[in-house]
Formats: sequence, structure tokens, C-alpha cells
Amino acid sequence: MQVKLLSARFDIPDAHKIEVAKEHGAYATLDKVFAMQPEEVIELVKASGLRGRGGAGFPTGLKWSFLPKNIDKPVYLAVNSDESEPATFKDRYILVRDPHMLIEGIIICCYAIKSQAAYIYIRGEYTTQVKALQAAIDEAYAAGYLGESIAGRDYKLDVTVHRGAGAYVCGEETALLESIEGRKGQPRSKPPFPAVEGLYGCPTIINNVQSIASLPFILANGPDAYKAYGTEKSPGTHLFGISGLVKKPGMYELPLGLPILEVIDKVAGGLRDGRTLKGVIPGGSSTPVLTPEEAQTVTLDYESMAAHKTMFGSGGIVVLDDTVDMVKLVENLIYFYHHESCGQCTPCREGLGWMLKIVKKIIRGEGTTADIDLLTELCDNIEMKTVCVLSAACTMSTRSYLNKFRHEFEAYVSGGASSQTAM
Amino acid sequence: MADKVKLFVNGQEVEVESGKNLIDAIGAVGIEIPHLCYHPALGADGNCRMCLVGIEDGRPPLVPACKTRAAEGMKVQLDTDKIKKIQRDIMELELINHPIDCPICDQAGECKLQDYYMKYDGQKSRMTVKPVLKAKKMDFGCGVVHDQERCVLCARCVRFTRLITKTGELGIVNRTDYARVNIFPGRPLANRYALNVVDLCPVGAMTSADFRFKQRSWFLTKSKGICRGCSKGCNIFIDHNREKYKDDVIYRFRPRLNEKVNGYFMCDAGRMTYKQENDNRLTVALLDGKETGLNEAVEALRRAVSQAKKIVCVISPNNSLEQMFAIQKFAANCNAAVSGYSDGYVIAGDGDDFLIQDDKSANRASFALLGIDASKAGFDAAVNGADLLICFQNDLSLSLTADALNALAGNCKLAYLGSNMDACAEKAAIALPVASATEDAGTLVNVDSILQQYAVAVVKNTPAFDMIHVVSQLGGEIKNCFEARAGLTAAVAALKGIDLEQVPGEGLALTVSEVPNVAA
Repeated sequence: MQVKLLSARFDIPDAHKIEVAKEHGAYATLDKVFAMQPEEVIELVKASGLRGRGGAGFPTGLKWSFLPKNIDKPVYLAVNSDESEPATFKDRYILVRDPHMLIEGIIICCYAIKSQAAYIYIRGEYTTQVKALQAAIDEAYAAGYLGESIAGRDYKLDVTVHRGAGAYVCGEETALLESIEGRKGQPRSKPPFPAVEGLYGCPTIINNVQSIASLPFILANGPDAYKAYGTEKSPGTHLFGISGLVKKPGMYELPLGLPILEVIDKVAGGLRDGRTLKGVIPGGSSTPVLTPEEAQTVTLDYESMAAHKTMFGSGGIVVLDDTVDMVKLVENLIYFYHHESCGQCTPCREGLGWMLKIVKKIIRGEGTTADIDLLTELCDNIEMKTVCVLSAACTMSTRSYLNKFRHEFEAYVSGGASSQTAM
Repeated sequence: MADKVKLFVNGQEVEVESGKNLIDAIGAVGIEIPHLCYHPALGADGNCRMCLVGIEDGRPPLVPACKTRAAEGMKVQLDTDKIKKIQRDIMELELINHPIDCPICDQAGECKLQDYYMKYDGQKSRMTVKPVLKAKKMDFGCGVVHDQERCVLCARCVRFTRLITKTGELGIVNRTDYARVNIFPGRPLANRYALNVVDLCPVGAMTSADFRFKQRSWFLTKSKGICRGCSKGCNIFIDHNREKYKDDVIYRFRPRLNEKVNGYFMCDAGRMTYKQENDNRLTVALLDGKETGLNEAVEALRRAVSQAKKIVCVISPNNSLEQMFAIQKFAANCNAAVSGYSDGYVIAGDGDDFLIQDDKSANRASFALLGIDASKAGFDAAVNGADLLICFQNDLSLSLTADALNALAGNCKLAYLGSNMDACAEKAAIALPVASATEDAGTLVNVDSILQQYAVAVVKNTPAFDMIHVVSQLGGEIKNCFEARAGLTAAVAALKGIDLEQVPGEGLALTVSEVPNVAA
């Protein structure tokens, strides 16, 4: 099942070094790229059907084409490497194992959108990753792939690494821009959208690390080679992080469209012996949970997830077996989103804290059925009333547990809760 | 006039100004969109989410009205069940961690949370868990006291220090419901407009140390007035109250919107000038420092005027236009010299590029209109050989050294008409009390030549006579304010054609083009 498009060089020793990476094909697409017009590169990426790998799945080439035409301001690329969604651990592999794939992708993207400055916004806790990435960028500068004239051509590009300070919300595109600009990471109201008014008031494209890292393969092999993998609407491959209660958790590159249960069984080694499946979080903690029955028919692609009223998200699959206490899982979940709320909008700032206290009350055995109902209503009251979707990330997922595992909440209320553990 | 657009609010067609956001545009025709963080002087921030409205045109189902411009044909929904529920939900979330300490809160009665609760919420609390506890009565400096628990994090105060004063003392620290407004350690508010954050705060989070716990806002009478703190003439509310068995006392000045003069704000120093209306007042007539009947003192001054060989009338740049005119007429009748010498009212370099002016008097521009000389040379020539000096509210101790003032008081008889017991009143052989600025009506011309009027705001239990009345008792021909205004329009070229009884509320700019109603 596993394929190696993005992870082709992951297992090669020292592939993070430029000589080794080049031996195995890094930067080989640049000749082809510079022979094309920027608009042709955009069309090619559009044709590949590549969708944003940060979670929303917005078509990458289409996003680029939203840049205003004939602009007299600089255009920026911001690479979102704030990977902070719980259960998501894919970009970190690219940053450490094959940073030159990312840099090559940045050159392709910047050439296509006519940008001469790219910022990589990297999660502050990623110390190993930031060292590896910066070392690779330094190598690329020394080798002439970044800087004044890239690979000997009349094209200038600078790449700057910006470390975050540990806020999940800075993975939201406009909070990320605020943070790069040196301000408190709080999402901006949209419109204006970043493609029109982004970093320092200039048109800005923000892409996930994996989206950018997918570009060298697409450019080298053409859109059809990429579309050979995956489904019609979800072409290509994805780095899936499979965690939770499976025998072989880890990061696996898979084509999109595979049945989720088959992947859990065959790729991740299946559940521990004697355990039964209770639920699957399909794409990071913010995506609504799937029951075992729903999981039967779910495949790992955007359209199947949407049909099951959940989201593909970031490819962070969490497998939950019968030992998991869903109420405590929800407590953990709300704790995270409450802690990470930027505090700007009233509903998210005040509401998530209230939700957390209600769940804690239920776990203490002091809750009532009215508290479960209030929790459900608060999800509705908070969701989509805010500047960004952080609160919705919390409420959409919380609501799915309340709807699908309400009996576990009721067990706490009636005093019959099990002594199961949270994830 | 700005362009108009037609749009629909709750299905009803209204015509509003184009280009404005929905809160302002629809608010101008009397339809309220509740909001906490938006303020016209500070722009839209969009954090409170109270102004979410629905718009039927295919855009996202909810938009913040503060960030949405009025456009032709727009269909705005405010009264749908969905919007009403959102307003109720947001109010509930605003209030779950609010201490609801209205009985001891100064903002009670003028609090947006109270108003909106009554209008948009009204449900019982569903909060059964402990609220977030934060710090209270924090000294933010400049007389601003902050209560973090009452705060709704609208960031108006933060934006004020960033956008208006550009001093940036305030910020919001921490995330989520630990977020709170704070100063940097050891760096309190340090700007001359800091108390405006108290007015800007929609709730009771920012209170004034000076006003705290003095009065309930609903007892205060809010009269319009003009600040006398400097020559800007900021428009103010005079908040005053006569408690049972007590006298009418002013408790605070607050800025009153006038786009042409001061906008939404005023300086802290001007705000505190209310104190001189209450304190250290000259309430009785004095003869050689001894309390005496008003009639006796007036008679004494009349006698002094009739016996004096050379009289000098010293006009104050704080006198109203009408008072100046009446004093000029009186001086002409008794052959007195007139001086407006008042250099001490000017503090060079004290002004800024916002509201505060160097000149700490309110009406110096009227000297030019009436041809009153305010030079030191003119004053020296006038007082040379004079045997009676009458100061009309002009505290010469500000402009002269103590020795010079003593010498002057020794050389001639010093009389004083004023409302406060200042240094000049103490030295005067005859001191007559007159009504203070808030107890009188009149006209002022500010530093930008904008003519503004004020009416009587405060009536004391034992009111002092107004200055023009006392001057008329001394022998002046002008009997009251109305006569003075009639005389002024006839005598002063710049005021020709202006009806001083009909000056618009926002004032009248005294420039050539702004005096249009001259009879052809």
C-alpha cells in the first residue's frame, strides 16, 4: 500500500545534506521550471489537482491564481510549518529528512507566483527541525540555489525562517502573518484575504509544507504521473500520521482513497490483541470522530470524509479502542483548544473555558443531564461566530463525541462511569 | 453632502450615507446595532461579535456590521430569530465571567452590558461553575483604576493609546479567558489624555480615581458646556447634582462630541478644571479682606470709580465675548483705560498637536475682535499714574511677580470681580463675587476662530450675580447678555450678520467664507 513520492529520500542516509540529496535528484526540476513561464507552472499545478495539505484541502494552483494581476507591490510566500494540530506529525519528517525537497518546492512556487521572498513559519517547539532546515537553507545559499541568482539564472529569492513562540493559533494563516510581522498572533478579519492583502499589506500566498514539498515530483513527472495516485477529486499521495492504540503507529506515505480500516489493519498493524475499535479520528483532533460503523465505508480522501460529515484534515489518524474514555478525551480536547484560544473574540475566549469547566464537572460526578445539553448547545452558540475557525475546531469535534457517545457522558451523570483512561 | 444609498433593514427600505459601516450608517437613521468594541474614533476591530448581522446576498451567513460597508440594495437582517439568538448568546458569554457587581460599580446606569442585557438578553444565568478570577482596582496611573474582571476585552482603551495618543501603554496580555488588559511592569499610563479611556470603556472596567464612588450616574444632570482649560474650547458635559439639603455641585466634566473642535476627546487637565468651579470660590463681597454686604461693596466701588482720577479696567481672556463688550462700554463711560494683559495665562511650549494649547485661557481670540490691547507695554502705560485698578476675573498674580503686584496694589486701589478666591482677590481692597463659567451664559471664540456658546448649567442655592449685571450696577450701560449680543453684532465687523442668539451647537467658524448671512 505504501508509496514513496514525497518520502523517496527519507530512508537514504544523510539525504538532508545537499550533496546526497542532489545525487538522488534534488533540484533537478529547476532547469525545466525556469524554461517555463510562471503562468505555465501555475497551470501545471492546477492540472495536477494538488490540494492544500494543511487541512482545508483547497486546490493549490487555484489559490495561486487568486493573486491580483499587475501589482506594484512585492508578493510573498509564507510556508506554514506551524504543525501544531494534535495527532499531526508529517511536516516534521520533511523538515528533518528531506529539507531540500521543501526548498526546491519553494523555488518552484515563488517562480510561479513571482515572489522573491519566502518565509517559513516554523513551530517554536521544533528545535531539531529548525536546525536541520536552517542548515539546509545555508547549504542551498552556498550552492547558489537561493540568493541573488538562483542556479545561475536572473532570478533572486531569499528564504527566511521565522520561529513561532508556541501558539497553535499561529497556524491560522492570518495569525501566522501577524506573528511574522512581530505582533501577537491573532487572526485577522477576512476580507481582505491574504492573496490581496497579506504579509506587510502585500499579496501573500500561504501554503503548507507538504503542499510545497509535493511540487518537485509534479514538476519532474508531470501532472498525470501525480494523478495516477489517489482519486479523481483527491489526487496524489499524503503523509499520514497514524497514532493511537495500534500496533505500529507512525508516519506512512499512502495514495489517497484507501479504505481507512484497511490502512489501520495492514499499514499500522491493527489494534492491540483482544481489543475492539471504538472510534477513529480521521484527520487531526479537530475533525469529527467516526464510529466503527461509519469507518467501514470511509476512504482516505476529501470527498468520502465530507460524505461522512467529517473532514480529511491533516492526515493525522487517531485510532481509539474500547479502553478509551470518550468523556476524558473530550476534556483533553477542550483543554487544548481553550488553552490555545487567542482570546480575541468573545465566544471563543469565554465559551471554551466554560465548556471545559462543564466537562470537568461532569467527570467529577457533579454533572446533570442539563449540563450535557448545555455543552451541546454551547457548541452551536460558539461555532462560526468568530473571526477564525479555532473555536469551530473545538466545537465540531466535541459535538461529534456528544452525539455519537452521549451514553458515556450520561454514565458519568448517573454515577456509573467506567474507570477507563483518556487517550 | 455624502452620497446616499438605499438598503433594506428587516425588509424596510432606508436611505443611508454610503461608504460608512453598517453600525454608523444604519445608526444614523435610528436603528441600533449593538456593539462593544467598535468606536467611530478608533475604527472597527471586530472582536466583540455583538454586531453580527445577516445579509441576504449570498455572502457568508454572518458578517460583523462594524466591518461591512453600507451598499445599495443590501438586505440587512437584524430581527430574525437567528440574529436575536446570536445577540443573546454573545451577551451570555460576555457575562459568564463578569462579576455582575453593578450595585458597587460606577458605570452602572451608563453601562453597555446593563443596557444590552435588558434589551437583547434578559435570560437567567446558566453559569454553574466557578468564574475566572482576575485582578481588581489596579492603579494604571493618571487617575485610571482598572478592574480586569469587569473588562470585556474590547480593546478600545488599548487602541486609544496606540492610535490616538500613540503612547501604547496598554496591551492585552495572555490568551483565552486569561486574557486581560494590563500595563507593562512599572510603566503606567503616562499621557495627558489618559482619562479618555474611562469614557471609552463601554463597561465599568476603567474608572476614574477622581470620580469613583462619588455619585450614581442616574442622579447626575448632564448639561452641555465648553471647557475653559485652554483656548481649544473642547465641548463638554457638565455632570452635576444637587443632593438633598446640599448645594448644586459638579462631579465631573466629560468630553462631548464636536467634530469641528475636539472630536470625542478632551485632555485630563481640562477635565479636572471642574474642581475650580466647586472649590475656593469667592462667595461674599470683601472690603479690605473683611466680609461685607454686596450692596455696600458695590457702593464702595462706585464711589471709588467716581473719585478716581485714572482708572484701568483689566479684562481677562477668560471673560466671555459679552462680558468683554460690557466692560469696554463701562470703561468708555468712566473714561477708563482698558488692558487685557494676561501673559501669565500662556505657558509657551505646553501645547501639543492634538488638543492642548499653550494658551490656558478660553477666549483670547475675542481680544482681536474687540480691539483689546493685551501687551505689557500697553498695561504699563495704562497703570502708570492710575489710582484705581479693576480686575475683571483677571488674576494678575499669574502675569506679574509678587513684588510687582504688591507694588501695584500699594500705588493704587485694587478692585476685583471674580468667581474664585485667587491671589488677586486676596490682595484686592474691594472684591465682588460673580457667577462662574458654569453658572453663566456667554460666547467664546477659540484658537481656531470657532465661535461657540454655552448656557447656564449650574444654579447654586444662593446664586452669584453674573458679571454683566454687576458691571451694570457699577454704572455700565449694558444690562444683560442679550443687550451685549445686540451691541456686538452692531459694533463688531466680524460678527455682522451673525445672530448670536442662534449659534449652531457645533459652533460657527469666523472666517470670511463662514459669515454668509450679511445683508446685501
